[in-house]
Amino acid sequence: MASHKWIKFPAENRDAVVKELLKSLLEKGVVSGVVAPSTLPSGASAAQSLITDPAMIDQLNPFAPVMAVSTAKILSQMTRIKPMTKKVAVLLRPCELRATIELTKLKQANLENLLLISMDCAGAFSVKTYASLVQEGEDPMGLEAKLFGGEEDPLLRPVCQGCEWSVPENCDIVIAKHGLGADQYGCIALTDQGDEALGVVGNGEAWEGGEEARNTAVQKWNEAKIAKRDAQFAELKEKVSGIDNLLKIYAMCINCHNCMTVCPICFCKECFFNSAVFEFESDRFMDWSGAKGGLRLPTDTLLFHIGRMNHMSTSCVACGMCQDACPNEVPVAQIFKMVGYNTQKRFDYVAGRSLDEPVLLTQFREDELHEIGGE
Amino acid sequence: MKPRIGVFVCHCGLNIAASVEVSEVVKAIKDYPGVVHAQDYIYMCSDPGQNLVRKAIREHNLTGLVMSNCSPSLHERTFRNLAKSEGLNPYLVEVANIREYCSWPHQGDKETATKKALTIIKATIERVKRNQALTPLVVPLQKRVLVLGGGVAGMQTALDIAEGGYPVTILEKQAYLGGRVRQLDHTFVTMEKAKDLAGEMIDRTLAQPNIEVLTTAQIEGISGYVGNFEVQIRRQSDWVDPEKCNGCEACIKACPVEVPSTFDRGLVMRKAIDWTPGARPGEKRVFLDHQACVRVTRQESCTACQEVCDQGAITYPEDEQITQMYGAIVVATGHDLYRKSALTEYATDPDVLDALQFERLLSEDGPTGGKVLRPSDGKEPKEVVFVQCAGSRDPDKHFPYCSKICCMYTCKEARRYKEKVPDGQAYVFFIDVRSTGKGYEEFVKESVQKERLLYLKGKVSKIARQGDKLLVLGGDTITGHRVEIEADLVVLAMATVPSPGAKELARLLNVNTDPYGFIQEAHPKLAPVETLTAGIYLAGTSQAPKDIPHAIYQASGAASKILSLFSRKELIHEPLVAHVDTEICAGCGYCHDNCAYQAVSVDPILKKAVVNEALCEGCGACATACPSGAIQVKNLDSKQVFDMISVVTKDYALRP
Repeated sequence: MASHKWIKFPAENRDAVVKELLKSLLEKGVVSGVVAPSTLPSGASAAQSLITDPAMIDQLNPFAPVMAVSTAKILSQMTRIKPMTKKVAVLLRPCELRATIELTKLKQANLENLLLISMDCAGAFSVKTYASLVQEGEDPMGLEAKLFGGEEDPLLRPVCQGCEWSVPENCDIVIAKHGLGADQYGCIALTDQGDEALGVVGNGEAWEGGEEARNTAVQKWNEAKIAKRDAQFAELKEKVSGIDNLLKIYAMCINCHNCMTVCPICFCKECFFNSAVFEFESDRFMDWSGAKGGLRLPTDTLLFHIGRMNHMSTSCVACGMCQDACPNEVPVAQIFKMVGYNTQKRFDYVAGRSLDEPVLLTQFREDELHEIGGE
Repeated sequence: MKPRIGVFVCHCGLNIAASVEVSEVVKAIKDYPGVVHAQDYIYMCSDPGQNLVRKAIREHNLTGLVMSNCSPSLHERTFRNLAKSEGLNPYLVEVANIREYCSWPHQGDKETATKKALTIIKATIERVKRNQALTPLVVPLQKRVLVLGGGVAGMQTALDIAEGGYPVTILEKQAYLGGRVRQLDHTFVTMEKAKDLAGEMIDRTLAQPNIEVLTTAQIEGISGYVGNFEVQIRRQSDWVDPEKCNGCEACIKACPVEVPSTFDRGLVMRKAIDWTPGARPGEKRVFLDHQACVRVTRQESCTACQEVCDQGAITYPEDEQITQMYGAIVVATGHDLYRKSALTEYATDPDVLDALQFERLLSEDGPTGGKVLRPSDGKEPKEVVFVQCAGSRDPDKHFPYCSKICCMYTCKEARRYKEKVPDGQAYVFFIDVRSTGKGYEEFVKESVQKERLLYLKGKVSKIARQGDKLLVLGGDTITGHRVEIEADLVVLAMATVPSPGAKELARLLNVNTDPYGFIQEAHPKLAPVETLTAGIYLAGTSQAPKDIPHAIYQASGAASKILSLFSRKELIHEPLVAHVDTEICAGCGYCHDNCAYQAVSVDPILKKAVVNEALCEGCGACATACPSGAIQVKNLDSKQVFDMISVVTKDYALRP
């Protein structure tokens, strides 16, 4: 909205500007806490922390291109039972924001008293890649600048490489890159709440008439991302079509359920596939093996993935957390993203796009799926 | 405790035995884990068959029964009752349907059918092994009835129930009781004055202490279930105090709003505040119609009527909101006539009337005081054409159904016309004359002969204005001649259609409608006064076109169903309902969103799903939607379904 604040500042000041903003919000009592990434003691990763003392804001590493745990999952933990009673500012990536919106619709999070600050996202590295980059002395921030410049980086998490939702929409403030030169970043308030919050820091140069340049830049960026996504889908589709290919691609799965544990959308307290329904008597295993002459153990590996897909692909935001957590590098996020994209498209739904779109499983549309016929 | 299951395999004569090798099934199932007894019989539902089952329960101390026979809709209850009388919990009995699911579709293929029957029985045994003994739920019952509509059907239902000793509320949209009958002149076949008939019922209704009548009132919201409906009612407040009003008509003159009179079917105009039928036929009162008044229609602050009222009778209080609990509801919202404009371009011609308009012309309390005069020029019409099946029995353009009452009322109207205009001629175009009620055929015969009514078997193809006359073009299929009549007046027996708003009401009440908007009965033959929503009943023309006697039969039928319901102390509900494991439930609300019965909600404090067992029909939509399996239907939980699937996948495994 044009009436809200648009500010720009030199690129090298980004961390300082944002830290200053968060510190001022805390000091002036606009917010009582800040959820944002801090560098971990090892220095080789960053993770979300809840900071209430303004003095500790300096420890933040707000734009570290790594996601250890989805912020959506953290917000769900904090607000599911009771919304925040005091205002808290949250810095999160667009996929985390979309997951938060989705969880809110699923009654697993509450946006009340949250000041949501998101960012134009160039993508993130897996925890492992980020750690090795840091250890090798590479500057992950420098990599980000190249990415915004249009370069591709094969080290980036695959879902990030083809992410078409990397410009945030449903937040109060955007830390913006698109529409500005290589040497600048900006802050845009999208809501009244965001506008007031930005008002606590007087610094920053007004970003006049940036809207048009930004729209053009965002469009160009998204087009490139969509092209990349489609190329990824085409390549993946070959690899996963048919039950044999699916068995092959999931062959390395060790049934650890890490993907489910880290998934922000998998909100169940107890996964159905961990429930008593899947505790079988010994004879059952012999029956199964007897039927085929042999049985892959542990059982139900593929059933778990297909079941989880059935439960959550309509709400999948393609954040990629599952693939980061997989010990055996199964391309689980890419598979889920492709299935999620196609199921959501069929119902004109995008997970996390809007609070006003009810989640698909809660809806009944009289004219929904058509019989395809029996060719 | 180890299960001791009895398996009973019915031959159903040859229905099952011709396709399923019953003796082989019994032999194979005898040694299945958990089974202690297996037996077959030619008709398990017969007395000797049932005695075999009883004996086996006692002798083998059975803990569960697998009744392998026809569909559970036929004999599940039979065998559950049997088990109960033998001291075995009825919910430990399940039916393995080996007839509809097996022997019938696999006739002539004994090998396939026998194998499949065994699999179905084994799967059902696995289900029974995990069945819980359940106790039916007891639900309180509010013995108070809501009747929607104060026509003859609504009043009859209300009177029957009230006389049975229970309180009844009648909600009537109009300002008066009596419904359509209030608009009629005489009724067939008794030729009794309709207002006498309605008046007698209205008197009894108003005098009945158990009946509360709320006129100008409508239902706004409803929640709950049979025995416990919570209903929100909105009642338009009376803006004219009848105690103070002296009928001076100053307000009527002052009122700036003129609308067609609904009671007189638009034959005359009236003011927003005007005379309207009073509580009893023959009475009238000054009434301010909210739907016509600019205070409502345009949110204006007009006080023209109030300003001129020297009695201080006019005030504008807010509508009244009432919330009340009811145990049962009767829909008696009546009918309307199909709009003339759908049929003829001459619908706007003042001398082309629908049958109800003609009733108003015949009525003593009508705009002409009961004289038959043409609306266009006030002359007495000498040639009147009546057209039957106007929109009815016309599947291509209008409605395929027969409106049922038009043959009879057209005959009556033609006869009444002739009584009033003895030198006039009445023509009736008809497809058939359907006069199937008691004394109906005699009535038609007598009327035709006595009044020399001219019946022409054929359809009217065109009505055209020609100066002073209406030219009616039609055919007589008996003589094969084209017929042209220069008529003074045309009366169309328009098709009967549901009252406006019937569809919205049906949606609100969660009952079905047929394709034409009439409320759908639960079964066309066996449950014609019930809907598929327990506790909601039907009476009168809201269900289908019908005449007064049929409306009264149905009204009394609905009343007797309700009196039977109320004869119980409380309601018994099947215990096969959804159940929430609160340790697992994450409170996402998928169950709530997928429940068609509003039986599940999410507790706002605990953030857990809660089942209202009285509302739950055990359909399992919630269990299917729940990703964690936290909500399950009793005696058909995920574990049971998995166990059953395991039997099938073992028996039908495809070995690569």
